[in-house]
Amino acid sequence: MPEMLSLSNDPILFLSLMLAKILAVFIVVILIVAYATYAERKIIGRMQTRLGPTMTGPLGLLQPIADGLKLFFKEDIIPAQSSKLAFLLAPMMILVPAFITVAVIPFGGDVVIKGFAVPLQITDLNIGILYILAMAGLGVYGIVLAGWASNSKYSLLGGIRSAAQVISYELAAGLAIIAVFMLSGTLSLRGIVAAQSGSVLDWYIFSQPLAFCLFVITSLAEINRTPFDLPEAETELVSGFCTEYSSMKYALFFMAEYANMIVVSAITATLFLGGPAGPFAGPINLLLKVFFFMFLFIWIRATFPRVRYDQLMFMGWKVFLPLALLNIVITGAVVVFL
Amino acid sequence: MAKKETMTINMGPQHPSTHGVLQLVLELDGETVVNAVPHIGFLHRGVEKLAENRSYHRALPLTDRLDYLAPMSNNLGYVLTVEKLLGITDQIPERAKVVRVMMAELTRIKSHLVWLATHALDIGAMTVFLYCFREREQIMDMYEKLSGARMTSNYFRVGGLSLDLPEGFVDDVTSFIDDMPGHLDTYEGLLTGNKIWQKRTVGVAPISAEDAIDIGLTGPALRGSGVDWDLRRDNPYSGYEDYDFEVITRDGCDTFDRYKNRLDEMRESCKIIRQAVDKLQPGPILADVPDVCLPPKKDVVNSIEGLIHQFKIITEGFKPEPGEVYQGVEAPKGELGYYMISDGSANPFRMKIRPPSFVNLQALPKMVEGKLLADVIAAIGTLDIVLGEIDR
Amino acid sequence: MIKELIQGLSITAKHLLPGNSTTVEYPKQRLETSERFRGLHHLVLEHDREKCVACYLCPTVCPAKCITIEAGEDKNGKKYPTVYQIDMLRCIFCGYCVEACPLEAIEMTGEYELANYKREDFCFTKERLLK
Ligand code: SF4
Ligand code: SF4
Repeated sequence: MPEMLSLSNDPILFLSLMLAKILAVFIVVILIVAYATYAERKIIGRMQTRLGPTMTGPLGLLQPIADGLKLFFKEDIIPAQSSKLAFLLAPMMILVPAFITVAVIPFGGDVVIKGFAVPLQITDLNIGILYILAMAGLGVYGIVLAGWASNSKYSLLGGIRSAAQVISYELAAGLAIIAVFMLSGTLSLRGIVAAQSGSVLDWYIFSQPLAFCLFVITSLAEINRTPFDLPEAETELVSGFCTEYSSMKYALFFMAEYANMIVVSAITATLFLGGPAGPFAGPINLLLKVFFFMFLFIWIRATFPRVRYDQLMFMGWKVFLPLALLNIVITGAVVVFL
Repeated sequence: MAKKETMTINMGPQHPSTHGVLQLVLELDGETVVNAVPHIGFLHRGVEKLAENRSYHRALPLTDRLDYLAPMSNNLGYVLTVEKLLGITDQIPERAKVVRVMMAELTRIKSHLVWLATHALDIGAMTVFLYCFREREQIMDMYEKLSGARMTSNYFRVGGLSLDLPEGFVDDVTSFIDDMPGHLDTYEGLLTGNKIWQKRTVGVAPISAEDAIDIGLTGPALRGSGVDWDLRRDNPYSGYEDYDFEVITRDGCDTFDRYKNRLDEMRESCKIIRQAVDKLQPGPILADVPDVCLPPKKDVVNSIEGLIHQFKIITEGFKPEPGEVYQGVEAPKGELGYYMISDGSANPFRMKIRPPSFVNLQALPKMVEGKLLADVIAAIGTLDIVLGEIDR
Repeated sequence: MIKELIQGLSITAKHLLPGNSTTVEYPKQRLETSERFRGLHHLVLEHDREKCVACYLCPTVCPAKCITIEAGEDKNGKKYPTVYQIDMLRCIFCGYCVEACPLEAIEMTGEYELANYKREDFCFTKERLLK
């Protein structure tokens, strides 16, 4: 068993590999973000008997780039009555947590380089899950700030909705995962993947089906996707918290939405589907699982109506939370008595 | 306790789901609506006044632009009123009447499809929107084939129809109504059983039967409150008494029942259309009233009498006896009525339109007060308003 | 409840299969307009000149008052319109002019791409209408 590469045994190699990993992950995530918008438009288009983008490039493949360029060159409007600093900060505050969450997600087993074992993961925090939950919690500040700083009533309503929604659903999501690490006995994502590394049946989706469903649903709510897209519910609040945003700042919100989708898919894959385990090379397995969840999210968006604010709260506090608690109790009983 | 402050927001006139240019001034306490005041008039074109300066014939295209989602129903109401004013109601040939019913029912489906599309979209189910528009497109194609225009049909004429059915039209209609029930099942598959849809519509935007009657609600919105009232059956026109159809009534008083009502109405419309297709016999399409109806084109081109006749009607118009009439039709959105006064000249002295959406809109404040912001959207959708008709 | 949710998902999934698209890719493909389509007007030619005899029926019936005609006489004493102009910005495409014309001298075509840049471009003079 080769020694784990760390800052103490080969600092140069460690740092350069670390940079390479960060860059690789970042590029992959950005690419997926760009093409997730394309895929979403194509898939929803097809489901709605339309074609989606077809004009820019072959099959419309250059559409995300065209969109990006367009947004980049749009006039950047900052409303006169807005609170400037907060207005500027908000889009970054929402995008950055989304991106840095990816840091703890393992995308493969260890590879041996120069006699050292290098984990395919940017960093393995021993409190990985807490870190993820914390970052998810940070993201909501961006939304609230955006809603408040715009000084527009629709934005404000969107911001408030989002705050309430994310807080209530984070609780349920957090409790749903507790059952997982009650089984794994560790908070490190690497550890959790290792705990599922036996056969397919070791994946926690089979031992924790309820937690899996709860987590998928609550995370849909956390990232404000249909049917829980209330903070931006375009038919009610025009565009919710990002009503007043334009140009690149709007693009950041847009990217954050998709980045969040990727993060949530990756977390779900890691916690319940064995992470990088599977028939192919580690990163490909993980990507396939991520794509599966993203497709699911898109599919759901094409199909379901939006729930109402009070119903959302009701479900969060009175359905999902008790279910998550129940799940913990059952898991606890099983762990202790069996 | 801290002082409670409410927030006033302007929903509209530029808002994605106020169906055009409706402005709602909402007073909100958090997300709860304390007070809702609709402001209308952004689309006012003065249709009623314009009609006073046009001959009866030339006022007809104005009606296309009332409820632009159901132009043929508007045309129908108008021509029926003028025919009543002229006293030629029983001279309308059978074929014209049957085609009118057929087109009015197709129009009902067309209008209801847009209603379902936008209603579902407002509540967040965006796929239904495109499915509905796909079917609506077929009706538009039929419109185009028949009248030459996809929206502003301007097809009926005082005394009958402007043109006979084109070749293959009946086949198009039949194949459409054969497919339509299947499509309706698709929409229902996406919505009716869906728990979220039910949550968003059951018990939402309630209005009791008494309130509905007091306000003057008509159409599917009234029938959703359990009041069994349909002009097609209760005050038949254009030969509706000869058709066998059911008036769909449900008494849930809520958005869900109004939704079910309209879907079932589309099914009934398909039945009526099928009966109309069966009834269709060759025959004249214009009443034999030379003072009112334009002569057939071939007469105009070939005979001097026809030419003079054409000149006379177009330059002078026809002059109904002084008097006043009211005629209501069951338009897709409710009772569309025209109240027409003639002073014996070639122009209407006064044309008052009773648009269903205008009256139905009055129910909105009642439906949403004390409810949530999201219910306002559902209420606007369920009332199926069209601003072209409200503002006139 | 779950059953209905899955039913909904299966409906959208079914439409995902190829062959369900109803899109007409507009500039590349065009819809066929019907024979009766009420598009841009066209003045009918007869013996290399317009059939219209400037009888003023169409401007009379036009609800939008968008047809301008000035009548003149040619050397044979036959009436013809020296000016025949339709303001397409006002026209509502009701088709009354066609219906009114006793000579079938004006008709409507399937031409519907009428967007233009200048106000003058919407004034369709006799020459343009005869094309
Ligand atoms: S189509 Fe109607 S509005 Fe247009 S020129 Fe002819 S009569 Fe006038
Ligand atoms: S009605 Fe016909 S003939 Fe008369 S002016 Fe118009 S186009 Fe010419």
